[in-house]
Amino acid sequence: MPGSQPFLKMQNIVKEFPGVIANDHVDFEVERGEIHGLLGENGAGKSTLMKILYGLYTLDDGEIYLEGERIGIESPQQAIEAGIGMVHQHFMLIPKLTVTENVVLGRREPGAYFRDDQTGEDHDPDRGGKTLVDKLGALFTIGLESPKERIEELAGEYGFRIDPDQRVWELEVGEQQRVEILKALYRDVDLLILDEPTAVLTPNEAERLFETISRLAEDGLSIIFITHKLKEIMAVTDRVTVLRDGERVATVPTADVTRSDLAEMMVGHEVLFQVDKDEVERGETLLEAENLHARDQRGLPALEGVDVKVRAGEIVGIAGVSGNGQKELAECLVGVRSVEEGTIAIDGVDLTGEHPRAFIDAGVSFIPEDRMKYGLAPSVSVMHNATIKDYRKDRFGNRLLDYGELEAYANELVEAFDVRGIRDVRTVTAGDLSGGNMQKLIVGREIYREPDVLIANQPTRGVDVGAIESIREFLLEQRSAGMGILLISEDLDEVLDLSDRILVIYEGEFVHETTPEAAQREHVGLMMTGGTDGTEEATAADGGAGAPAGSDPSNGGEIE
Amino acid sequence: MNVDVELTARQEVPAWLTYGTPVFTVVAALLLSSIALVILGVDPFGAYVTMFVDPWTSQFGVSNVLEKSVPLILAGLAVYLPLRAGLWNIGATGQLYIGAIAGTWIGLNVSLPSALLIPLMLVVAGLGGAVWGFIPGYLRAKWGVNEIIVSLLIAYAAIRINGYMVRGPMQGGLGNFPQSAILPLDAQLPEIPLLGAHVGFLVALLAVGAIYVLVKRARIGYEITFVGANPDAAHQAGMRASFIYVLVFAVGGALAGMAGVIEIAGIQTRLRPDFSPGYGFTAIPIALLGRNGAIQVFVAALFFGLLFVGGTALEISYSVPAALVDVIQALIILFLITAEFFKRFAVDVSIEWGGAPEPAPSRVEEGG
Amino acid sequence: MVSSLAPLSLDVSFWTGLLDATVAAGTIFIIASLGEIIAERAGILNLGMEGMLLVGALTGFMTTVVTNNPYLGFLVAILAGTTMAAIHAFLCISLKSDQVISGVMLTLLGTGLTTYFGQGWTQHNIDGVKQYTLPVIGEYLVGVPVIGPALFESAPTDYLAILLVPTVWYVLFRTNVGLELISVGEDPETADTMGVRVFRLKYLAVLVGGAFAGLAGAHLSLAYAQLWVAGMVAGRGWIAVALVIFARWQPKYAIVGAYLFGMLEALQVRSQGITFTVEGAPVLVNEVIKFFTHPQIMSTYPYFVTVAVLAITVARSREGASAVPSALLEPYSRETD
Repeated sequence: MPGSQPFLKMQNIVKEFPGVIANDHVDFEVERGEIHGLLGENGAGKSTLMKILYGLYTLDDGEIYLEGERIGIESPQQAIEAGIGMVHQHFMLIPKLTVTENVVLGRREPGAYFRDDQTGEDHDPDRGGKTLVDKLGALFTIGLESPKERIEELAGEYGFRIDPDQRVWELEVGEQQRVEILKALYRDVDLLILDEPTAVLTPNEAERLFETISRLAEDGLSIIFITHKLKEIMAVTDRVTVLRDGERVATVPTADVTRSDLAEMMVGHEVLFQVDKDEVERGETLLEAENLHARDQRGLPALEGVDVKVRAGEIVGIAGVSGNGQKELAECLVGVRSVEEGTIAIDGVDLTGEHPRAFIDAGVSFIPEDRMKYGLAPSVSVMHNATIKDYRKDRFGNRLLDYGELEAYANELVEAFDVRGIRDVRTVTAGDLSGGNMQKLIVGREIYREPDVLIANQPTRGVDVGAIESIREFLLEQRSAGMGILLISEDLDEVLDLSDRILVIYEGEFVHETTPEAAQREHVGLMMTGGTDGTEEATAADGGAGAPAGSDPSNGGEIE
Repeated sequence: MNVDVELTARQEVPAWLTYGTPVFTVVAALLLSSIALVILGVDPFGAYVTMFVDPWTSQFGVSNVLEKSVPLILAGLAVYLPLRAGLWNIGATGQLYIGAIAGTWIGLNVSLPSALLIPLMLVVAGLGGAVWGFIPGYLRAKWGVNEIIVSLLIAYAAIRINGYMVRGPMQGGLGNFPQSAILPLDAQLPEIPLLGAHVGFLVALLAVGAIYVLVKRARIGYEITFVGANPDAAHQAGMRASFIYVLVFAVGGALAGMAGVIEIAGIQTRLRPDFSPGYGFTAIPIALLGRNGAIQVFVAALFFGLLFVGGTALEISYSVPAALVDVIQALIILFLITAEFFKRFAVDVSIEWGGAPEPAPSRVEEGG
Repeated sequence: MVSSLAPLSLDVSFWTGLLDATVAAGTIFIIASLGEIIAERAGILNLGMEGMLLVGALTGFMTTVVTNNPYLGFLVAILAGTTMAAIHAFLCISLKSDQVISGVMLTLLGTGLTTYFGQGWTQHNIDGVKQYTLPVIGEYLVGVPVIGPALFESAPTDYLAILLVPTVWYVLFRTNVGLELISVGEDPETADTMGVRVFRLKYLAVLVGGAFAGLAGAHLSLAYAQLWVAGMVAGRGWIAVALVIFARWQPKYAIVGAYLFGMLEALQVRSQGITFTVEGAPVLVNEVIKFFTHPQIMSTYPYFVTVAVLAITVARSREGASAVPSALLEPYSRETD
């Protein structure tokens, strides 16, 4: 219910980092009890703005008003004291500690002897008011019983099921996120910031998150919902503020706009959702994997019997929510991860269990999901990074490398793939490039060597729209030229747009196969969350958005 | 009084800082160490002249510095190469000792003309050091075991093993002292005609050249650098980090092993307990100073060689323990680290004297 | 079984003496490794331990010679260790320097300074810290065979070391300050956003580690050996660092490892000048036995054993549940671009 003044008002916020203005005189307001979406591409400034609000960054200029009073927030502690909580995109949890320990960390809950029987309804009492004995007591004891009860209470109120004694590393992603939310609720916040919360959730878990948020808003909590996904804005927010390149573009009631309006505001020019694909003849089978079984980083089964075939001139798209085995599949297909069972053949040659080098030599290229970790060495020159797949070719010399040739190759690559920001490939390091240019460098490196097969895992993630378009074009070009591409993407639209065939992966298995023409988005979305095959494509058409209540077996009878 | 310190990350490092750093650090280290000299009643200026100027004034002094640099060059390279691959060879000392044992054993027990014997000693010493380097390299490659701890621990074991050798199987010479017999003349390193230093110096020069080519020109050096920069990306690119790890430690170990036998065959002429005056440890700041290339390692090693010789001269002339050199080394590292910080950040310190301190605002009231 | 220059029988008095010496030798490892556990749990590796132990040993010794009061010596040693640790803390935490370099530098500094300034102090004798029998029960129980003297008649620091183990355990795992310290060593960014004073805790942990190191070093020169010789720490600092890994950063295992290595050290001392052989066995076998029981060779066992244990521990650990503090060796700064 809007009052005479907004609950939160951020005015004229300026924040600069070396080389970039992240927030350029941004105004932002939130009413009590409203769910306010903050929309923008990666790098638009949404996260920065919220980190300022939460005290993780200090603003360079501007003011913040809470309920009409000006406040200064220098640390997350102060933000919490002011009643502002944040659920981060990358969870701020300590895996080795229990749920309770994670929730109470920093509050210094004293042991029973020193406990004051506060119900915790207020915010943190001013620490200065406690006696020295109290403070020392809190330091040198710890009391977890009372907090545990409160946590269970809160969880029950909002429909979570959580075991306060479990260690966080044992929890699933959705459960971990709930712990993050509990951290804020435990501290009685008035305003909750959610930073890209659905990035790691299944569509069904996302639905339940939206329900939770609505309940919280009804209870009077104000919510700021950061995302770059238009669907979510439309689904759950009351109003939406769009940021672009550090500036505020507009603030509008969600009901008054369409997806294309928002997309245009976000990007600044009309964005074509459809891409033109040529008709291409399917050629011979380049990659054939059968019955793959593999384990993930933690030793848990990640792939449970996967078959996949990629032919020349086709893009096979793998749709699915992150964490269902895509990463492991990609890694197995390039030799980075060992396969427990099953076979992989490239051009008819069995390469199961071989070192990545064998795959590279056999003509397989790889765009990894995490470019900073697996794609590039940021501290090393662009030239070095551009040639790591092919430096062993004769062109570059035998035992001793011909650095002139390497430089030439790198320059060709940078030209051809429009990688910007490079004066000299020998001196500029990969870490100096922007995200989009890094990705273009990697894509270029992997494509320029003219592989037979390309495994692309999230090739356009975290990349600006201009670069996204370029990368997608590169992929389609190579498809026309006869390359076989396995495209793994969380972006369902991307998969639908680019693929010739679509496979849906869920919990390590392919549960559905379709084509872009035959696919219905809602049905594919349902398959991505474990809906059983046998539900007709038509069923989704008369059910409205989202899965009907009770039809999702994966959540095991929890309260809807 | 209110002190406010602001740090801003630098985009570029000002030239004066880059070139001035080595000078600053050495000067600062010497200044601080002069306090220690004064405490023991020694005139610092005179002491420093003895340490740093005198060695250059005689043929003997020059050859001394060069000879003392030899094990430092080799040990420095032994730390430099693994560092290039992102690994720390903190236990180069151990590789040095094992190499010395192995090489000396050959020198004492094999009869060959000098031109054959000495290369053989070098090769065997290199093998011994390579084995000792292989252990931490392999454990790191295979199971990810921290190579710092492993190389360090077995270094101390190697020193003890040397202690065993000179009291047991390799004990020799007059009396029952813990030392080996003196190496026969054929096994001792001859001198280089004009320089006066022993041929070990040539070995060191060769090593510098070889490592330079290896790292900066060879294909394997390309891989080493990339593996050191990002082992995950290197693996994905088809490089075998495991192989690289073992290789750099084995080669590094071989270099350190050669340093060991050169020290015995060139200077000490017999194996003794604890014969290394900290070469393996000094190799660490040398590798740090020279982390960008083998040539830089060479220059840094020469400087520390001068330091070592100066320390001995100091002890002789002023009866002050040569351990001061350790202190100077440590201070150089200390100031290097500090300079590193100033290279990365520009610091603005503002101090307000008197007046009430600014209250830390949590809520600042304003009308309306 | 044994023939030697002096007859030695493996009887009760041998074992009694061995255990007594084990406790005495293990103390320095306990104290030093507890201090290192605290520092590493907060994310800081301290390779300067060897240097700090030496500094503690010398300053404690010097103070005792001058003032004739070993307890004052302990105090000064603790202060000295803390001071050295302060340098390490400042470099690693505030200046975000490489912890390995800083630690090695401090060892070099400590070794150099103590050899340099300790030159004239080798000849002095001190009335160090004597062994005390525990009050009341000690008088009677000290006569118990095998374990008597070990448990009931030892230096105060020996008892202190044993008491420190449950104390450090309690502080780390049963208090808020311990929870916060562990969180800082696992994920300082998260801890920071939760309001934990990351820098303060890191500093505290390193300083406490330094204090422990000073104490341990002083124990060596004032209680264990009761003299000063340059380099007398003889590598124990490195073993203490290794011990922390061996103990998986847990005090309860640290004490086990400490006494294990203490026993090895005691064994080695006890078998000096003694040759072990088996009567009637072939010469080769006896040569091999002679080799493995040679004091110098035996002194290598702690190092090799630790390496083996380390390799096995690391090879067996799983990600997510790894015993290593996740943010160990990583410098923390608040604002990241």
